[in-house]
Amino acid sequence: MTEARIIDSRGAACPGPITDLAKAYRNSKVGDLLEMWATDAGVKADAQAWAKKTGNEILEIRDDPDKIVIKIKINKR
Amino acid sequence: MQKVLIIGGGGGGLILANHLDTKKFDITVVDKSEKHYYQPWFLYVAFKGSKRKIDRPIASLLKPGIKFVKDEITEINLDERKVYGNRKGVYTYDYIAIATGTSPDPDATPGLREIYNEYGDYHSNIENSMKLWKHVSAFKGGTIAIGQASPTVKCPPSLLEGAFLLEEHLREKGLKDKSRIIFFTPFPRAYSAEPMDYVVEPMVKERGIEVMPFFDTDTIDVQNREIKSIEGDTIKYDLPIIVPPHKGTKIKIIPEKVKDEDRFIKSDKFTMKIEGYENAFALGDCNNLPTSKTGVTAHLEAMAIANIIQGIPSQFTGRINCPFDTAYGKATFVIADYKNPVVPYPPTRVKHFMKMTMARIYWMTLKGTADPIFEYFFSYTNPVKLNKKYPLPK
Repeated sequence: MTEARIIDSRGAACPGPITDLAKAYRNSKVGDLLEMWATDAGVKADAQAWAKKTGNEILEIRDDPDKIVIKIKINKR
Repeated sequence: MQKVLIIGGGGGGLILANHLDTKKFDITVVDKSEKHYYQPWFLYVAFKGSKRKIDRPIASLLKPGIKFVKDEITEINLDERKVYGNRKGVYTYDYIAIATGTSPDPDATPGLREIYNEYGDYHSNIENSMKLWKHVSAFKGGTIAIGQASPTVKCPPSLLEGAFLLEEHLREKGLKDKSRIIFFTPFPRAYSAEPMDYVVEPMVKERGIEVMPFFDTDTIDVQNREIKSIEGDTIKYDLPIIVPPHKGTKIKIIPEKVKDEDRFIKSDKFTMKIEGYENAFALGDCNNLPTSKTGVTAHLEAMAIANIIQGIPSQFTGRINCPFDTAYGKATFVIADYKNPVVPYPPTRVKHFMKMTMARIYWMTLKGTADPIFEYFFSYTNPVKLNKKYPLPK
């Protein structure tokens, strides 16, 4: 299993996390795993809409005490 | 006397210089250009053909006792506290503030260079804005694609401001029925921050501006007049208005690790101190702070740095306050800080008047003579207060 690439968007307000995700997507290839860390609650809906639009897969959305964790698998690039 | 060296004579650099005590500090501002431009006016040059004079000599914007040197800096060595210029040699310092802004990078997107050279844009410089007005004013109908070529650009409201002013122009010229405006954005919605999108989205719809969200420009096929996104969409255009990707400084900085992959300088989000250095700051658009790249952030960061250098504890709060022209004589402001989300602040005529007044008093702002006005304005528009007054409907 490939190790997930961490996108640390903690502290960034909307659209910071989506900016970081778009940047990471530019440098991704099919099969990559991305793990996004964010503190802005808007990121959940935005990441889901992003995954739907781009044809990629959200594996998990988890609320840790200090951050929101979103795991993404790149299926299309 | 301690030496303060400021690289860049833009808004941040000049405000910092003018807020330091010349009796206690030996202050030098270095810039490769002799001129300072009021960049927010590029918008009105590009979409209204404004001929207003928006430049002043940098030297004329500095308080007496501050030195200005025209020089192109090639290398900054933070460990040795030495800075190298093309023309004047080596500079030394006790404190350094890097305030070099962003540089447009039209070569980062295949095909964009040709568009940039031919059509210009409304972010990069005055020449590009004049070039774009030539095309906008000569436009007789068809599809205009307007948007940003990458997620990182300065002044987030300016993208939609361009679309709004363009729509107003087409309507005034009687071309509205013969034209389509397609606004493309890498973000999930027309305005990236949701509360402001709530305010402007109905206006976008009402004016018939088509929005393509999640459109992160990949390549441009100039021959076939098509813009393609990483997400797999294509837009066909007759007139392309594309803001190029913005990157950080091209100056070599030692150690190199202080720059991120887009050349922005990694700095503390409260003190703007460059990671690992107590006496070096990166200020305004050239740093990597998790906030918008705008004049007001450069302004407030500069004020905080001036205090820190002079021994007064101070922090930047992440405050943004971006004027947002929604056309037809109205405007709003995008207001937030690190702790408080963007306010869904409705556009009004008074706010448009304030935006236009800001353009007039800008030169006073740089010198610090408008500080009392700003202090009053910033406390009046505190995001905590405003978010209570304008709650976002659930």
